[in-house]
Amino acid sequence: MSREKETTLYIGPQHPGITGNMMVKVKVKGDTVTKASVEVGYLHRAFEKLIERRNWLQSFTILCRFCVPEPDPMELTYARAVEQLEGRIVPERGQYIRTMVMEMARLQSFMLWYAGQSGSAGLYTLGQWSVGDRDYILNLFEDLTGGRVYHMYIWPGGVRRDLPKGFKDKALRVMDYLEKRLDEYDKLLFDNTIFQKRAQGVGVIPKEKAIDWGVVGAPLRGCGIKHDVRIDEPYEVYDKLDFIVPTHEGGDVWSRAQVRRIEARQSISIIRQVLEKMPEGEYYNKIPNPMKWSIPAGQAWAKTESVRGEVGFYVVSDGSEKPRRVHVKGAAYTNGVSVTEKILVGQNIADVSFILNSMGVCPPEIER
Amino acid sequence: MSDLIKENEILEQIKAAFQVEGKVSSERRTEVFADKTQVSSILLLAKNQYGFKHLNHIACIDWIEENKFELVYILYNHKTGLTLLVHTKIDRENPEMENIDTIWDQANTYEREMREMYGIEFPGLVGAKEFILEDWEDTPPMRRDFDTLNYATNTYFHQAGREDAQDVRTTISTRSGEEIPDFAKKYSRDK
Repeated sequence: MSREKETTLYIGPQHPGITGNMMVKVKVKGDTVTKASVEVGYLHRAFEKLIERRNWLQSFTILCRFCVPEPDPMELTYARAVEQLEGRIVPERGQYIRTMVMEMARLQSFMLWYAGQSGSAGLYTLGQWSVGDRDYILNLFEDLTGGRVYHMYIWPGGVRRDLPKGFKDKALRVMDYLEKRLDEYDKLLFDNTIFQKRAQGVGVIPKEKAIDWGVVGAPLRGCGIKHDVRIDEPYEVYDKLDFIVPTHEGGDVWSRAQVRRIEARQSISIIRQVLEKMPEGEYYNKIPNPMKWSIPAGQAWAKTESVRGEVGFYVVSDGSEKPRRVHVKGAAYTNGVSVTEKILVGQNIADVSFILNSMGVCPPEIER
Repeated sequence: MSDLIKENEILEQIKAAFQVEGKVSSERRTEVFADKTQVSSILLLAKNQYGFKHLNHIACIDWIEENKFELVYILYNHKTGLTLLVHTKIDRENPEMENIDTIWDQANTYEREMREMYGIEFPGLVGAKEFILEDWEDTPPMRRDFDTLNYATNTYFHQAGREDAQDVRTTISTRSGEEIPDFAKKYSRDK
């Protein structure tokens, strides 16, 4: 064994385990990774720079493209930062609709995660199922916003449109269906010995290091640390809803999967509660003419919880009609670069894409 | 402000230790404005003494009118749920800032990006010069004086047939020498 040479291997940029192009350069000895470095730069489109050249509302066409699998948290975080700067209040119905949109976005993102996580373990059936079922949520999005993947539905001051006729019944029907399907998924993924053996003890984040390393989202909760922006700094109507934030000890791929398994069910429960409690009334606090809309000078930091972890926007206004600076901190920025580089060391090469998927790496979020 | 005891406490303690300006900007949020030489000490104190174990992000803003860059270190305390924002301003000419990746590993990534996008140097920063861009020798692109339009016009060229307001059917038919079929004509722009 001592005669094994160290070899450099390039995993990516076209990569089945993650959504987007990113390369992981690994040094391997035999089958074991000895060093990993994440190399990005394949998707850089200077989003943050483009936003500086547009007015406050035009940014929304760019914002949703920060992360394709889950664009809505970006819209909401930006909208909330702008509202913070302007002091604009969102009507209660608008807040309820926003919460519902966020949970729908989470749910469809969980479906994609099911596909990626099982696919990278070689279990392709579940991927076909969950991506198919995700379409039912996309149908709801289409009814609600007109778009399937990118919605541009959440605006400063509320949301753009009210719920269409019959939406509530349709949404509840989809939720009933998905809840049943999640049980089927469990049988395929969590009861599967292959997945159990491959996920347990792989890609471990040590609990005592997790906060220091800047881990966020499900990977952090998978270490047994209870942190969720929805509970710690509640926004919209999350403080009026009843839901749990699951944690799991272990810090490995298995724990992260368990956390997401419960979270997907919680999302369904939240959507039901929101639809039940949603009051009648205004949904949009109308903004003035967007082409001549200037925001008072100031700086705002807003956070929301996405499936991958917390998404933060640092928005700066100089009092003009365009943002001065919009700095985006996506969850994958830390989870996908410095944390991934650390936990990949010592792992088997076959587990690299498996671990990347469990960390929720989303390259466009890293490069922006 | 009586219900913001924790936020005020943090502010008072940092103020007393470093003689810096600061404010409690909202619930759970404390901001301090420090000189660039004090930043690493404040961060270290906040991390070890006040429990701000989580470095959320480092944001950078280009204030070209003042000839300054503003750096904002965003810290979070998981136990109390407080956020601490440490602002500092550095010169825009030959910008240099203390490297803090010894305090938080992940700061390395943020600093590498700032070095690339704003040209701010962090002495002692380990890591490849290139993070996102490739072979970049122009002005660091996130600076306000970098002209995006000018760069795009000079770097990228127009492809023939890609000009604006052109009917793609006409272009194809001229190129191939084939006539536009009748069913396609009814969608033509000339009509």
